[in-house]
Amino acid sequence: MYELLTGPIMWLVFAISFGGLLVRVVLYFKGLNQQLDRVAYKAHLSYGLKGAFNSIISWLNPVGARAWRKKPGFTLIFFAFHIGLLATPIFLAAHNIMLQENLGFGLPQLPAFLADLLSWTVIVACVAIILRRIALPEVRILTTAYDYLMLLITVAPFVTGLIARYQMGDYQFWLLAHIISGQIWLLCLPFTKLSHCVLFFCSRAQLGMDYGIKRGGLKGSTFSW
Amino acid sequence: MPQGKLCNRQPIKTDEQLKLTLSDKSGKQYYAEMKELDVDTNALWATIQKTMKSRIKTWLEICAHCGMCADSCFLYQVNDCVPEQVPSYKIQSTLGHIVKKKGQVDNEFMRHCMKVAWSQCTCCNRCGMYCPHGIDMGVMFSYLRGLLYSQGFVPWELKIGSGMHRVYRAQMDVTTEDWVETCEWMAEETEEEWPGLTIPVDKKDADIMYTCNAREPKHYPEDLAEAAVLFHVAGENWTVPSEGWEQTSLSMFAGDWECCKDNVNHVYDAIERLNPARVTGTECGHAHRATVIEGPYWAGREDGLPPKPYIHYVEWLAEALREGKLKIDPAKRIKEPVTLQDSCNYVRNQGLKDVTREILSYIVEPGYFVEMAPNKEHNYCCGGGGGFNGIGLYREQRNVALRKKMDQILDTGCKLVIAPCHNCWDAIRDLEEEYEIGIRWSFLKPLIIGMLDIPEGMRVEW
Repeated sequence: MYELLTGPIMWLVFAISFGGLLVRVVLYFKGLNQQLDRVAYKAHLSYGLKGAFNSIISWLNPVGARAWRKKPGFTLIFFAFHIGLLATPIFLAAHNIMLQENLGFGLPQLPAFLADLLSWTVIVACVAIILRRIALPEVRILTTAYDYLMLLITVAPFVTGLIARYQMGDYQFWLLAHIISGQIWLLCLPFTKLSHCVLFFCSRAQLGMDYGIKRGGLKGSTFSW
Repeated sequence: MPQGKLCNRQPIKTDEQLKLTLSDKSGKQYYAEMKELDVDTNALWATIQKTMKSRIKTWLEICAHCGMCADSCFLYQVNDCVPEQVPSYKIQSTLGHIVKKKGQVDNEFMRHCMKVAWSQCTCCNRCGMYCPHGIDMGVMFSYLRGLLYSQGFVPWELKIGSGMHRVYRAQMDVTTEDWVETCEWMAEETEEEWPGLTIPVDKKDADIMYTCNAREPKHYPEDLAEAAVLFHVAGENWTVPSEGWEQTSLSMFAGDWECCKDNVNHVYDAIERLNPARVTGTECGHAHRATVIEGPYWAGREDGLPPKPYIHYVEWLAEALREGKLKIDPAKRIKEPVTLQDSCNYVRNQGLKDVTREILSYIVEPGYFVEMAPNKEHNYCCGGGGGFNGIGLYREQRNVALRKKMDQILDTGCKLVIAPCHNCWDAIRDLEEEYEIGIRWSFLKPLIIGMLDIPEGMRVEW
C-alpha cells in the first residue's frame, strides 16, 4: 500500500495537480480580453509588467499594502498560515529524503523543531481563521460550508502528519492517512478555489496591469497599495 | 406583462419616448411596470457567456470570503456595518447568484439586484485596493449594471439619462444650436470685461480642444465663461467643437454600453475633424473616466488611448500655473484652512493625485491646506458617485452615504472644500443642505479667476 501510494499514485497526483494548475494559469491569461477588461495589455506591456510586479510584491509583503497594515492581527494569522503551509511540506526532512531517493536531489531541510513549530502554526492559525469566520459578522455572512471543507482538506495533512510524527496510535495508519490527505489536498488545488495558489498571482498581476496601464501607470503615477 | 410602455428592454431612442418617460413623474408608472417585467433569462445567460471572461469568472471563484473588503467600503461603514453591505457579499449575492443559476432568475431577484447595484455600490473601486486577491467589486458592479440595463432593470433617471445621450448626444436636452448659442452668448457677455475674449467654435488645428459637461451650458453657463477667461488669460489657442463637446456619460452609470460607445465616438469624431494638438475636459470626474480612461476601449482602440492626448482640467491648470501662463497674486491666495476632495474617477482611476496638490501649492497660503484622511487613491467616494446623486428612488440611502464625506471634512476642521469634480461638488452641496455643517465648496475655476495676477489692460474694471 505504502509503496503504491508513494510510487505510481504519487506521480499521478503530482501530474494532475501541477498539470491542472498550469492549465488554470494558461486558461486565465488566454481568457483575458483587452476590450472587455478595458486594459491595453499588449500595447503597453512594459507598464503592465511594472504594475503587475508592484501589485504582487506589495501583497506578498505583510507591510506592503495598506490593507495588511490596517489589520495586523489578521495579517499575522494569514501569513503564519500560508508560510507554514508552503514551507513545511517543501522543506521537511522526510519529504526531501524521498525526493533524494527518487530524483537524486533534495532541497534544504528544516530542523525537526522548526518543522514541528511550523506545523503547529498552521493548525493554530487554522483554528484562529475558523474562529474569526464564526465571530465576525462581516466574515460570517460570506462563509459557506465549502470554505470549511477547504480548510479541513488543507489542515488534514498537518494533523495526520503530526500524529504520525509523534507516533501516537498506529503509526502505519496515520502515515497512510497523512499521505492520502496530502494527495487529496494536491488533487483539490486545480479544481477548487485552492487554485488561488496560482490564480492569486494571476489576478494580482491583472489588477496590477490595470493600474499600471490605464489607471495611472501611463501617467507616471505609482499606485500605492 | 412581458414589457411595459415605459419600462422595457429597449433603450430610449426617440425624443417622443424620452418625453413620455420624463412625463411620468418620479417614475411612478415606470417602477410599477418594472414589477411586471419579464426576465429574458436565455438572453441574460447568453450575454454572460459571451462577455464574462477569465477575469470576472476568477474573481467570483477565488474570493476567499475573508471579509477584508468590508470596511474598505464607505457604505458598509455608514450603514452601521451591517454585513449585507460587505462588498463581497453584495456582489456574490447578486452577480454571483445570477451566474450560479445560469441566468435563471426572476423579476423580484432582478429588482433586488438593481437596488444593490445602484444604491449599495457607487463603483468607486476602493474595495479592489483592499482585497488580497485584487478582486475589484466596483468593476463587477459596472458589469452587473450592464446586464441589468439590458433587461430593463435600471433606475428611471438613468434610463432617461442614457436616452438623452442617445437622442441629444448629451446628458441633457442641449442641441447643437443651444450649445453654439450659449458659447456665443457667454463670449459676448464675458468680452465686455475681458476685451478680445472669444469662444472659438470649430476652429481647426488649435492647440487645445475643450469639452465639457452638458450641465454647464444648460444650468451654469458661467462655468463655460470661466473656462474661456482662463484660456484667454493664459493665451491659449483653443476651440470648442460644435458637435462632440459633451464629455459626460450617464450611459456609463446606466450600464448602456452601446450608448457609451456612441458618446465617445462622437467626441473622437470631433477630435479627428478639428485636429487639435490635444484636448482638455472640464472639472468633472466621470466625464474624464468615460471619455479618456474607459472610452478608448468602448471605441475599440487598440492602444487604449484617445486619438489625441486628452488631459483632465486639473492637468491643464497645473501646467498653466507651473509654466507661468497663469499667475497668482500671492496676496489673494487662500488664507483659511482648506481641504481637497480627491475624485475616485481620476485619482483612483488615473493616478492624478499630485497635480491637484500642485495647484493647491500655488493658490493656498502655505500651512492652510489640510489633507483629508485617508486621501489620494485611498480617499472615499463623495457619497454620490456612480449615478447615486441623481436617483430619486434611492435619495434616502444617498443621504446616509454622504455621512462619510461629512465626517472626513469635519475631521479636517476646514470650512472650505475644493471639489474639482461635478459629482463630488453636487454631493458636497447636498451634504451641506442635508446636514448643515457650515461649509463652502468650490470648483477650481472661480477660485483661480479670483486670485489671478492680470496684466494691465487685460481686464476692464467696472
